[in-house]
Amino acid sequence: MSKIIVMTSGKGGVGKTTSSAAFATGLALRGFKTVVIDFDVGLRNLDLVMGCERRVVFDFINVINGEAKLSQALIKDKRIDNLYILPTSQTRDKDALTPAGVERVLNDLSKEFDYILCDSPAGIERGALMSLYFADHAIIVTNPEVSSVRDSDRILGVLASRSRRAEQGLEPVTQQLLLTRYDPERVERGEMLKVDDVLEILAIPLLGVIPESQAVLRASNVGMPVILDEASNAGQAYTDAVGRFLGDEIEHRFVSPQKKGLFSRLLRRSA
Amino acid sequence: MSIFSFFRSAPRPSAVQAKERLQIVMAHERAGRTGPDYLPMLQQELLAVIAKYIDIDQNKVEVKLDRGGDCSTLELNIELPAREQLKSAMAAVKKPDLKPSASADQDDEDDKLAANGPLTNGGVKKRH
Repeated sequence: MSKIIVMTSGKGGVGKTTSSAAFATGLALRGFKTVVIDFDVGLRNLDLVMGCERRVVFDFINVINGEAKLSQALIKDKRIDNLYILPTSQTRDKDALTPAGVERVLNDLSKEFDYILCDSPAGIERGALMSLYFADHAIIVTNPEVSSVRDSDRILGVLASRSRRAEQGLEPVTQQLLLTRYDPERVERGEMLKVDDVLEILAIPLLGVIPESQAVLRASNVGMPVILDEASNAGQAYTDAVGRFLGDEIEHRFVSPQKKGLFSRLLRRSA
Repeated sequence: MSIFSFFRSAPRPSAVQAKERLQIVMAHERAGRTGPDYLPMLQQELLAVIAKYIDIDQNKVEVKLDRGGDCSTLELNIELPAREQLKSAMAAVKKPDLKPSASADQDDEDDKLAANGPLTNGGVKKRH
């Protein structure tokens, strides 16, 4: 039986798709057969971030409507074994995501895959609700910034009341925080919420801290999940987070500023 | 500049303000979300009772339900009017023959209360 993970946040632009691409790739690299599904109907972007946009023929909605077979819509990643992408429709309406249709596709996928990662759209409308409804685990992507933290709290409330596990009185969806775009130097200057502040407010376990990194944009430019940029801080932080998700004990890195000389510190402050 | 800024007293870091603001707004939102269904009704009825005796500003009322491990606390914070206003309000209440509708503009609120009955206190402001 496969495990269903939802990558969600409430707020848009915090790094859900970047994190979904990185996380799915990381799980596949660890040997798990993984599929990542784009739930953002009408605003599909996972295909671009994964670099498979030119290979999309059929999509998730086609499969739900019975217009294509699942095997026709699944795109096998060219770099990593065990990694598949299920893109969504760019033209249909969100209403195409029917609960029964989504459940059927997830059931079919769960026969074949170890992990099903659902990339949620922003908001708390149908697409977001459908992406989290069947989840066993939720990864809450949050930026250290007031509106993102508040929206994450809202999503935690939705998970606790409107997921399948909540509705059926099953064990609750496990929730972990992925704090992205973290800038330790701004934190040190008192300009950004600390990891501990966000943890205190949201009160869920920390899965990882992804530092603000230029590697993320570079990676999405070329359609490569940033986790494959092993030299980058962000890539390493995602690798660590995947390890923690799988139960490894890994110390958090990139949460404090890299040591700098006095001279560069003075220059930096006046900048 | 950076050397001189060392001597200035540092303003309160914006991150600290961010945290405080979040904690306040989210305490309210969570109370609205996780609070039991009777809480809004309880809040309105409690306020209606108090409003019968004291002329309170409905915007200066805070009702909070905190859930601890073993017990929950219902916290009711009401800012009372200044002493003089209070006196006149009490006087109005004490006069047995004075109906709230008989007094001046500022009693409009009481007027509504009396008319609608205690369950439908139109003046209670829900902040969620």
